[in-house]
Amino acid sequence: MNAATAPRTARPRRPPRSVIGPLALLVFAAITWWAASEDFGLNFDVPRLFTNLTRGAGILAEFWPPDFSVLPRTVDPLLETIQMAIIASAIGCAVALPVAFLASRVTSPNLVAYIVDRSVLSVVRSLPDVLYALIFVAALSIGPLPGILALILFNISVVAKLLSETVDGVDQGPIEAARATGANRLLTVRWAVLPQVLPNYVAYSLYAFELNIRASAVLGIVGAGGIGNLINETRRFFQYDKLMVVVIEILILVIIVEWISIWLRRKLV
Amino acid sequence: MGPPLRYPPMIRFINASVTYPGGVHALKNVTLEIPDGQMMVIVGLSGAGKSTLIRAINGLVPLSDGDVTIDDVSVRSAKPKELREIRSRIGMIFQTFNLVNRTTVLNNVLMGRLHDAGTLRSLLAWYKPEDVEIAMQALERVGIVEKAYVRASNLSGGQQQRVGIARALAQEPTIILADEPVASLDPPTSHVVMRDLQRINRELNMTTVINLHFLDLAKVYGERIIGMRAGELVYDGTGDQADENVFRDIYGRSLTADDMLGEAAAAG
Amino acid sequence: MTSPTASRPSTPSQRAKHVATALAVLVVAAATLTVDVQIERLPDLPGALMRIFGRMFLEPSPEWSYLPEAFGSMLESIQIAWLGTVIGAILSLPLGFFGAKNITSRLVSNIIRQLLNVIRAIPEILVAVVVFIPMVGLGAYPGMLAIGVHSIGTLGKLSAEVIEGIDPGPVEAARAAGGRPLQIQRWGVLPQVLPEIVAFWLYRFEINIRASAILGAVGAGGVGEALVQSLVFRRYDRAGMVVIVVIVVTILIDTASGWLRRRIIQGGGGASPTDLEQPELVEVDAAAIQRP
Repeated sequence: MNAATAPRTARPRRPPRSVIGPLALLVFAAITWWAASEDFGLNFDVPRLFTNLTRGAGILAEFWPPDFSVLPRTVDPLLETIQMAIIASAIGCAVALPVAFLASRVTSPNLVAYIVDRSVLSVVRSLPDVLYALIFVAALSIGPLPGILALILFNISVVAKLLSETVDGVDQGPIEAARATGANRLLTVRWAVLPQVLPNYVAYSLYAFELNIRASAVLGIVGAGGIGNLINETRRFFQYDKLMVVVIEILILVIIVEWISIWLRRKLV
Repeated sequence: MGPPLRYPPMIRFINASVTYPGGVHALKNVTLEIPDGQMMVIVGLSGAGKSTLIRAINGLVPLSDGDVTIDDVSVRSAKPKELREIRSRIGMIFQTFNLVNRTTVLNNVLMGRLHDAGTLRSLLAWYKPEDVEIAMQALERVGIVEKAYVRASNLSGGQQQRVGIARALAQEPTIILADEPVASLDPPTSHVVMRDLQRINRELNMTTVINLHFLDLAKVYGERIIGMRAGELVYDGTGDQADENVFRDIYGRSLTADDMLGEAAAAG
Repeated sequence: MTSPTASRPSTPSQRAKHVATALAVLVVAAATLTVDVQIERLPDLPGALMRIFGRMFLEPSPEWSYLPEAFGSMLESIQIAWLGTVIGAILSLPLGFFGAKNITSRLVSNIIRQLLNVIRAIPEILVAVVVFIPMVGLGAYPGMLAIGVHSIGTLGKLSAEVIEGIDPGPVEAARAAGGRPLQIQRWGVLPQVLPEIVAFWLYRFEINIRASAILGAVGAGGVGEALVQSLVFRRYDRAGMVVIVVIVVTILIDTASGWLRRRIIQGGGGASPTDLEQPELVEVDAAAIQRP
C-alpha cells in the first residue's frame, strides 16, 4: 500500500494539543517539590530515608518475641474498646437516620433545613475522630465517655452521608403513590422511602461498626478509653515486646469484626 | 474438494486440533489449505469451532496437536518474538470492534503500527510521521479519515468497525482475519463492511478469512465456503455450490430466520 | 350474601428478623450496662461541653493572632498527606497490576492481594506508633511513611479490582497486532483504568489529610500536634483557632478534589464529534513523507 494506490483526500487538521495533561503534570510536580523541599516542606530525600530506616531497623528486633505476660492487663481495655464501639454505633446510627433524611432533597421538609443540615454535616465530617476525642478528653476527663462521644459524631458523619446519597437515588414511584393517598411527609418517609433504603441502612451501620472498632482501639492513645491506653503505657517504658501483644490483639479483633460484618452484609442481600 | 489452487498455498492446517482445559474438543484434526489471495468464509453454529479455527492462524489459541503453517513457517513452534512478527503481518477484525474507547480514532489505528514502532515511541504515542501517514492512508481506504481526531466511542457501530479494519490495514498485513465482523451491525451497514473487505481482498490481493453466521452473506461474499460442525471440517466448496441443503447439513438442523441477514441480500 | 372465602395465607414467619433484632438489642444493652462510665456524671455532660466550646470559640474570641501558626501546621499536615499519597500511589500501581488475576497468574495475584490485605488491616496510627516512630523518631517523617505504607494497601487493592474489571477486547486486539507485553499493557489496559485509578488517588489524598491530622496527635507533626499542644497548655482559644483552620481547609480540599475527580471520570482524550462535524480539511502532500 503506497501513496500511488491510496486515494488522496483532504485530511482533518490536527486539533491543538490539549494543555491539560502537561499542566496537570506540572502542578503535581510543583506540589510534590514544595512538600518535599527543605525550606518549605518536610525535607524529604530518598537517600536519607534509607539511612534512617536501616539505622532504625534494629529497634524492630525488640518487638519479637511478643511478651504475653501482659495478656491479663489487656482484657478489660479490650472489652472497653468493644463496648465503646457498640454503644457509639447504636446511638450514632440511630441519630444518623433523621439526619440523613434531612440531608436529602427527596425527603427534606424545606430548603433551609436541607442547607443547614448539609452544612453541619460537612463541618462535622471535616474533623477526624481523634481530634474530637482530644477535645472531649479536655472537656470531660479521660475514660471511655469522650471516646464514645467522638465515635458517635464519627458514626453520624459516615452513615448520614452514605444514607443521604442512597435516599437521593431512591425510586420516586412509591413516594408519588403515598402522596396521592394524602399521606403527610412523615408518613411518606416512613412507608415509601424507609423500606427502600432499609437494607442499605443496615449495611452502612455494619460498615460503620467495623470502622468504629478500628477507631476505638486507637482512641485510647489520646486518653479516650479502650486498649489504646495500653499502647501509651507500654510505649512510655519502651516495652516493645508487650506492645507487640497489644498490636496483635487489635489486629485479630479488627479482622474478626471485618469477617463478621462481611458475612452479615452478605446475608442481607 | 475446493476450487483449484491459484498460487502456492499460504495458510496450511495440518491435522490441527485444539482441546481446551475443560476437555472441550474445539478443533478436531482439521486439514486445510488456504491459497494466497483467497476470500474464504467459515460458517457453522456457535461453538462449532469457527472462532478457534481463526484464532489458531495467528496463535491466539494454541494448538494441542498438529500444526498451522503460514508460508511454511510453523505457528505452533514459533518463539514469542517470532510469533509477534507473524502476528504483525496478520490483521484481525473483531465482532465487538475492540477499540480503545477513550482515545482518538487515529491512536486506535496506530495500534496497528505497534510492532514496527519502537517501544518508547509507542508508549508515549510519539509515532514517526511515516507511521502516521500509513495510518491516515488506512483511514482513507475505508473512507473515514475526517474522523481521525474524534474519540472512538463517539462513532457509530459501522464507523467503529471501519476503524477496526483501518487498524488491521495499518499493519500492512498479508492476511486479514475477521471474526464475525458484522454480527453487531445492522443490515445496510453489514453490507458496507463486507463490501469493504471484498474490495480490500481484490485490490490488494490479500488473503481474507471471515467467520460469518449469516448464511446469505456467506453465499454472496464467499469465494470459498468452509463449514464447521462440532470442531470438524464438514464442507468445502464455492459460494455458488452452497445452497440450503448444504447449510442444513453443516448446521445439523433446519434453518431459521435468524440464520439470514435478510433485507436485500442480493443487492450486495 | 356470602362470598366464597379462599383460604388465606398465614402471616410469613419473621423469626429470623426478630431474632436478629433481639440479639442486637441484647448486645447493646449489655455494653451499655457494663461500660465504665459514671452514670451520675452524665447530666453534667452538656454543661461541660458547652463550657469548652465557649472557651474555644466564644469568650474571648478565638485567638486570631494564632492563625498563621495554625495555618502553618495545617500546611504541614497537607504536605505529609501529599507525600504519603504520592508514595502510596507510585508503589501501588505496579502492585495493582501484579495483583490482578487477568494480568498475572491466579497464584501470584492471590499472594499479592493477601499481602495488600494485611497492610490495609493495620490502622495508620498503629503503623506510625509501632513501626516508624521507634525507628526514625518523632516528627513529620514517620507520619508520612505510615500514611504511605497504609495507602499502598488500599490503593493497591482498589487498583487491582479496577484492572480485573476491564474489557479484554482491546487487550486481545493489541496482542493480535503483534504488540510487545509493555505495549499491550499501555494500550490495552491503561486507557481503560487510568481515570478511575487517578480518581482513587485523589480520594485517598482527601482521607489522608484527616489521617495526618490524627497522626499529629501522637507526635507525628502537623495540625494534630498543634491541637494537642494548645489543649495541654489549656490555651483553648488557640485550640479553637486550630479547629477552625482544620474545618475550613478540609472542606476546601474536599470540594476541589471532588470536582476534579468527577471531571476526570467524565473526560478523556480526543475531540467530541460536535467539534469536528465539519473538520477543516487540508491537502496533504503524501509523497513528501512517504516511506522509502
